[in-house]
Amino acid sequence: MTTRREFLRRTTVGAAAVGVLGAPAFGAAQGAPTRTPVKLTFWTWENPQQRPWLKKRIDQYTQQHPNVSVEFQYFAFSDLGKKVSVGYATGTAPDGYTTGDWLMPTWLTRKLIVPLDVQQLGYASLDAFRDDHAPAFVAGAIHEGKAYGYPLWFYGVLNHVNTKQFKEVGLDPVKDQPKTWTELGEVAKRLTIKQGNKFTRQGFKFAMHAAQWTMIQFNPIVSQVGGQWFDASGRCTINNEAGVKAMTIRASLARQYGAEDPADSIATFPLPQMDWLKERCAMFSCHPIPPAAIKSQNPVMESEGYFLPVQMAGVTPDKRYTTCYGFNFVVNARAPKAKQEALHDMYRFVMSDLVDCWEATAPFTLARKSGWTDDPRVKSFPHVQEIIKAKDNGVFFPRTPIWTELADAMHRAAQKVMLNNADIKTALDEAAAEVDRATAEFKKS
Amino acid sequence: MISYRWRIRLWGMAFVAPTIAYFLVFKYGPMLWAMGLSFTSYDMMKPPRWVGLENYASIVRDPIFRAALLNTLVYIAGSTVFITLMALGLALAINTRGRGRRVCMSGMFLTNIMPILAVCLVWRFLFHPHGLVNQLLRPLGFGRIDWLTDSTLAMPAIILVTVWRFAPYFMVVFLAGLLAIPPEYYEAAEIDGADVLRRFRHLTLPLLMPVTFFVVVVAALLSARIFLMPYIITGGGPGNATRVLSMLIYETGFSYMKMGRAAAISVVLFAIVMVLTVVQMKLFTRGEEDYA
Repeated sequence: MTTRREFLRRTTVGAAAVGVLGAPAFGAAQGAPTRTPVKLTFWTWENPQQRPWLKKRIDQYTQQHPNVSVEFQYFAFSDLGKKVSVGYATGTAPDGYTTGDWLMPTWLTRKLIVPLDVQQLGYASLDAFRDDHAPAFVAGAIHEGKAYGYPLWFYGVLNHVNTKQFKEVGLDPVKDQPKTWTELGEVAKRLTIKQGNKFTRQGFKFAMHAAQWTMIQFNPIVSQVGGQWFDASGRCTINNEAGVKAMTIRASLARQYGAEDPADSIATFPLPQMDWLKERCAMFSCHPIPPAAIKSQNPVMESEGYFLPVQMAGVTPDKRYTTCYGFNFVVNARAPKAKQEALHDMYRFVMSDLVDCWEATAPFTLARKSGWTDDPRVKSFPHVQEIIKAKDNGVFFPRTPIWTELADAMHRAAQKVMLNNADIKTALDEAAAEVDRATAEFKKS
Repeated sequence: MISYRWRIRLWGMAFVAPTIAYFLVFKYGPMLWAMGLSFTSYDMMKPPRWVGLENYASIVRDPIFRAALLNTLVYIAGSTVFITLMALGLALAINTRGRGRRVCMSGMFLTNIMPILAVCLVWRFLFHPHGLVNQLLRPLGFGRIDWLTDSTLAMPAIILVTVWRFAPYFMVVFLAGLLAIPPEYYEAAEIDGADVLRRFRHLTLPLLMPVTFFVVVVAALLSARIFLMPYIITGGGPGNATRVLSMLIYETGFSYMKMGRAAAISVVLFAIVMVLTVVQMKLFTRGEEDYA
C-alpha cells in the first residue's frame, strides 16, 4: 500500500521531471502496454546495495502488473558479461539485463540488443533522452541515432583520503589534498611509514588485483597526458610517448617516491579498496565508497568520519580527467516483441523513483540529471557535491569490442612494470601488439 | 531364429550400451565437436564459420600462447617429478612402521580432501611478502621473498602448492605398492648382505615400477589440466609467468568469446597429453622389461 508520504514524494519527483525537462511523467501509474501474461527473465550483477534495490523495484512493478512475472537472477560483477555471452550461445540469454557500458560495443557490433523506444521509456524524443543525461553517459548508449541502453548508475572515480593520517603527518586534508600527480607523489611520500623493507603504511596505492581496476586507474592518467588508446585507424597507440609518460607516472609512486609496495596488498575482488579501509594505505582512488562498506570493514573510521572523497589527481576545471563508468539497461534482440515492450515499461517504472534509489544505494550516483540531485535528502549526503562532480568530470573507458583483451593486455603490462621492474616502453609495446592482434582477429571474424 | 551365441552377444551389448552411450554423448562427442570447432571462427553469438587451419596458425604466432605452452610444460615436468619423489619419500617414511604413522598418514591426506578454493586462498596468504612462509624463513637468514609477484618464483610457488596438495594422495598409492612387495624378498636380500640402499635400488624400485608408472602418468595428466591453482593464486601473472594452457583456453573462450581459437588450444593440450602418455608408456614398458 502506498503511504501518503510515498505518494507525495513520487508526485514531487514526477512533477520535477516534467517541469524541468518537459519529459513525460515517469510515475508508477503508467500501465503495462499489454495485459496478456508475460514472463520475463532479467539478469544483473551482485552488489549489496544495488541488487536488492533493483529487485525491490521489479517486485513492486510485478505487483502493480500481475500479468508480468520476472525471473530475476544476479551474478558476480565480473561474471555477468560472460554469463550473458554464454546465454546468447546457448539460447538462454535473458530478455533484459544490466550491462557495463564498456561492454556496449560487444553487444552492438553483434546486433544482440535492440534500439530502445525512448517514448516508451517516458521521453518525448531522442533529444529529450539525450538532454536528460550528461553527454558522455549517453555516448555509449546511443549508436547511429538510436538509444540502445538506458543509463542507470554512472559514477566517477574519486581519491579517498584518510584525514586522520593526513593530520598525523601535519597535512591539512582539505588544503593539502593532492591536485597533480607530482603533488600526490610528494604527499604520499610523507604519509608513508616503513620498517625496513616492510611498509607499515603506504602513502597511495594502485590496485593490482584485476584488469578492470588497472583500466579504471590508468585511463584518466592516459587522458591527462594527452594520450589516446587508439588512433583513427583503430591501431593501439598506448605505446606512444603519451602512453609511456602515463605509465611512468603510474610507476613513479613506487619507483620515484617509494610510497607504495605493489606486491603488498590485501585487496581482493570485489574489495579493491581493502588496504585503504584497513588503513594500510592513506589514499586510494576508486568509485564512491558506501558508508555501509566502510562500516563493515572499519567501524571506527565510519563512526569518527575521518575519510574524505576528493577529486582524483590531475583533475582540472577545464578538462574531465577522472574515470567514469556505469551501467545500462538493455533489451535482448532475440526477445519477442511483447517482452521487449514489457521491459521498456518495467525500466521506466524502475527509474521513476530516483530519490528512493539514492537513499538505498548512495553514494552510487545515477546517470540521469533529473529527478534526484535537487532533493534535500540527496543534498544532505556527506560530500555529495564532490561525488557528483567526479561523475560529471569523468572520461570514459575506450569504446572497443575488444575491451577485455585490452584490459588484460594493460594489466599484464602494469604487472611487468610494477612487479618485475620491466622497461616501460617494452611492456607497452608488447601490450599494444597484443591489442592490435586482437583487433585484427575481431575484424577478420 | 537367433542362435544362443548371438543372444548372449546381444545381451552383452545391451548391458554395455548405456555406458557406451554415456561416453559418446558426454566424452567423445564433445571432444569431436571441439576438434571440429577448432577449424571455425565462433564467438558464441553467430553460427560457427569455417576458417580451416587459421586458428592453429594464429596461436602459433601468438607469444602469449607460446609462453603458456612453455609454462604448461614446465609445470607438468616440475609437478610430476616432485610429486613422484615426494610421494615415494613419504610412502617409504610411513612404511617404516614407526609409531603414529597412521595418524601422520591421515593428517597428510587431509591436504587432498580440502576444498581447492580454500587451499588456494590460504596459500595466497602464506606466500604474501609478509606471510607465514617468509616469516618462517627469516630466522634462516632469508630476506623478503616475493613468491607470487616475482616472475621467476611464481611458477615454482605454484608447483610447491601442487606437490603439497597431491603428493599425499600418491603416497597412498605408493604405500599400497610397497605393502604388496613380499617381505621374504627383503629377508633374502638382507641374508645376501644387501644394505638398505641396495635393497631399495634393486628390489623396491623395480617392484614399484608399475605403481611408479601409474603415479607419473596420472600426475602428469593431472598437471596438464591444472587450472584453478594458477587462476586463483596468481591469475596467470605476473605478466604471463604462470599462465598455463587451460587458463588460456578459458580466457580465450569465455572472456574473449573466441571459441574456435580456444578449441584449437585445447586440441594442442590434448595432443601434448597424448604424446606424454605414449612416451611414458614406451619408457616404462621398456623399463619393466629391463627389470623382468
